[in-house]
Amino acid sequence: MGNKQQAGTAKKVGIPALFIILAILPPFFLSQYWLHVMIISLFYVMMASSWNLIAGFTGQVSFAHAAFSGIGAYASGMVAVNLGVPPWLGILIGTGVAALLGLGLGYLCIRMGGIYLSLTTLGFSEILRIIITNEDKWTRGTMGLQVPGFFSEYSKANYYYLFLVVTIFLLIVIYWIVHSEMGLTFRAVLNDELAASSSGINTIRVRILAFTISSAMAGLAGGLYGHYLMLITPDIPSLGQMFLVLAMAVIGGMGSFIGPIVGSFVLETLSEYIRIYGEYHVLLFGLVALAMARFAPEGLMGIVGKKWRKEWVH
Amino acid sequence: MNEFLMYLTNGIVIGVINAISAIGVSLIVGIMRVVNFAHGELYIFAGYFSYHLSASLGVPPLLAMPLSIFFIFLIGIGMERTLIRPTYGDEMYSLIITFVLSIVLQNAALLIFGPYPNKPPNLVSGATNIFGLYHYGNQRLLSFFISIGILLFIFYLIKRTWFGKSIRAVSQDREMSSLVGVDHLRVNMLSFGLGAALAGAAGVIVAPIFPVTPTGSSAISLNAFVVVVLGGMGSLKGCVIGGLALGIIENLGAAYLSTMYRNIFGFVILILVLVFRPWGLFGQKAQ
Amino acid sequence: MKRLMVLVTVMTVLAMGSWAWAADTIKIGVVGPRTGPAAATGKAFEEGIAIALDHLNAKGGVLGKQVEVVFEDTGGVPEKAASALEKLATRDKVPIVVGESHSSSALAEIEVANRYKIPLIICEAWHDDITKKNYKWVFRAGPVNSGVVDFYIAPFVKDNRFKKVAIVRENSDWGVGIAEKTETDLKNFGIPFITLKVERESKDFYTELTKIKGENPDIILAYIYGTGLHFFVAQAHEVGLSPKCLILDGAGPPSLWDTFWKNVGKAGELELFMSSMHEKVHLTPTSRKFWDDYKKKYGKDPTDYKTRSIYNVVLIAADAINRAKSTDNEPIVAALEKTNLEVTTGIVKFGLKQGTYEYHQWMPPMLVVQWQGQKQVVVYPKEAATGALKKVK
Repeated sequence: MGNKQQAGTAKKVGIPALFIILAILPPFFLSQYWLHVMIISLFYVMMASSWNLIAGFTGQVSFAHAAFSGIGAYASGMVAVNLGVPPWLGILIGTGVAALLGLGLGYLCIRMGGIYLSLTTLGFSEILRIIITNEDKWTRGTMGLQVPGFFSEYSKANYYYLFLVVTIFLLIVIYWIVHSEMGLTFRAVLNDELAASSSGINTIRVRILAFTISSAMAGLAGGLYGHYLMLITPDIPSLGQMFLVLAMAVIGGMGSFIGPIVGSFVLETLSEYIRIYGEYHVLLFGLVALAMARFAPEGLMGIVGKKWRKEWVH
Repeated sequence: MNEFLMYLTNGIVIGVINAISAIGVSLIVGIMRVVNFAHGELYIFAGYFSYHLSASLGVPPLLAMPLSIFFIFLIGIGMERTLIRPTYGDEMYSLIITFVLSIVLQNAALLIFGPYPNKPPNLVSGATNIFGLYHYGNQRLLSFFISIGILLFIFYLIKRTWFGKSIRAVSQDREMSSLVGVDHLRVNMLSFGLGAALAGAAGVIVAPIFPVTPTGSSAISLNAFVVVVLGGMGSLKGCVIGGLALGIIENLGAAYLSTMYRNIFGFVILILVLVFRPWGLFGQKAQ
Repeated sequence: MKRLMVLVTVMTVLAMGSWAWAADTIKIGVVGPRTGPAAATGKAFEEGIAIALDHLNAKGGVLGKQVEVVFEDTGGVPEKAASALEKLATRDKVPIVVGESHSSSALAEIEVANRYKIPLIICEAWHDDITKKNYKWVFRAGPVNSGVVDFYIAPFVKDNRFKKVAIVRENSDWGVGIAEKTETDLKNFGIPFITLKVERESKDFYTELTKIKGENPDIILAYIYGTGLHFFVAQAHEVGLSPKCLILDGAGPPSLWDTFWKNVGKAGELELFMSSMHEKVHLTPTSRKFWDDYKKKYGKDPTDYKTRSIYNVVLIAADAINRAKSTDNEPIVAALEKTNLEVTTGIVKFGLKQGTYEYHQWMPPMLVVQWQGQKQVVVYPKEAATGALKKVK
């Protein structure tokens, strides 16, 4: 018994540690171009994992996640351009704004849940898009806002490590939430609302909290992404982007911790390979996601094997 | 004053077009509690079918229109059987499936029809001088009257026929309806097909005015959602009133407040309605 | 765990396998919209590129190697444009990039070109800032907003004694830039005008058109690039605004796309548009050769003048690499600065005076063309005119 537990703990610490060591290596042997792909993948890991926190663990399908990454990006970009705030501080401001708006939107729509929540978040996302497009004095609309980068000397390796550190931080937070008492509450909310409310858990408050944390994470990811591209456009908070995030979570496996991470890397890398088919790579994405959603709702993680998953995911 | 009447007329015409474009969504939400994200794509496909049948294959436009609607009906039935049926009772699951499906169909349209906007031939051309006050496009007027005709037909179908009665029975109580001998799987399939066909009808009627493009489909779905929420989910009467309200608000808003913010009015109302009157601006709370 | 290691290994191998291999061809990068509202421009680019490659490779290619093109789609949006250029620079490692037809995309691309120090020749993005930023790596062999307005649009309005102008502009860098320039010039000429903003992807223009009608202008300068222009022209006719009030399409190509007449019907008669190409106007022997080659390859006359613009810049890029005798960036820029090459629209020489938009800029002559009985008639400038401007009284 004790041996088994020790082996379990060793696995729990050992495997992530191995991954982190592996993750340090890419800049030493990848070309600039593939480093770029890795950086974008890390952005999607942050997005898909934080979306999974609400969609996968509390069953609330929000369509505003890309919108919140847009809020983070634009807030940070606009204070950088107009007030000269350094990006380091800017992304914190962006994260804060995303958290506040997330709290507000969560407060408004969490109570209704279900399709009402989905439609409200969809409406929110469209309103944001229209405002960003039209207030071109501030946001430069579809023309794109050019913003400074994080480093005075442009270096893909630096960006890679920055994204890596933040991604690992977000993943630890998500892991901790899911496995904490709050996380148990999350799943209680998902599995049986009635039981949860009767056991005295304030389901509404837990959901709003989850929504706020998840929005803040999207804001942080969006801010990083904007300052990496050095160009912020309404494409960041678009429904197309939302689709990619959703597809990555669905293909990897919603409601599993590893699922969205695997989904993001697999899809982003794959999309670089099928780019020769031009626009049709989105179609391929869609078909794969559709087939997964219909025939393997638990995603890649569900396929890879429940035993392995159980050992160190739950 | 002339200008105001012009804005109002356009608001009413666009309003009816809104209603016809949304009624398929309303029907499917009402009966199956499924929000069909792929609605706009079905509309777009119908527009392209109608264009290719009449412009490329030489089918007369008046025959091409019902034929396209029929194709969309079949596609709708196929969608229901393969993708939607397993999702009944799980709103989130159906939402994810139809959302992904909408992206798939949108990109399929891009592959099949190319990126260019296309429109089936106009049935009529020119413009009418209305009461000597202003000119209004004839094709718009014709589409307006056809839409009203189709809306009336749908009301008749739902309220007066046996099919309509089974639909209402299923939407109110699935188990009870089986007891009284209504095959609810069959009814679901047919009503999903009908909802799809209505998307198709909207597509073929509106495409001669506003040419269809593959990327234009999400705007159509979003507009339909606003109309449906405004009128109360699943209420057909509400859908018509919601469509009209949105058309008039958007046109007057664009004329007197801001042309660039034309599309925002609908979404702001959407959120306000969902937060304060989730049963719709014109629906009844009991629903 | 085993499975996981396999996954990691596979991904690593895949990533390494993509390293560039030694090239036996010269690859020229192209950026342009192959999807999105102006996807037709991508099509026009493809045709022009094909003819240019045939021409170059028949002559033995460049530096003794065959020339190839890597065409990255921008979708007409700046973000994708920037990443397209980034890919051409880091993945394909092309020595030079040409193309683009959206100012917003071009403004994003020049930043990337500057970051990776890769020569870029813009052909059809008109915003002044593209060359006004005076980046060493950025050239433009094509129209620039200020030039188009100062030498063509504004004098055309003045010389033809239009009394009131309505400027309708989309929300893009090109639209904002060209509308502001037009306002300045019209103010100087003392011609009254109104300006209206529209959304690029609008479908219903009745509200805007009713507003315009109330102002009673006799010409509309429509700065809308994409199929939105078709709806605008068709609906202007429906509400009884045109043809009494003429419409000038300030970009040009949308009035030349295959779908134009299908979408606008009778409303297209007497519509005006900017162009740099006309069947009867051949400024150089190369122009004649291009026309013949196009007809031979596609069995029809070229319509979209952007086909010819991309043809020109591919030729300019090949010429620069040939003279630089190298595919390195510095020699290519040095060669470009000494360009003296005949293309279809004249002899290209880039401006070298820093501080204005004329730095690294060469602009071809433009034409104002009117549809008369579905035939293109050049109505301005006078020297090139093939007929008179038709107005409806």
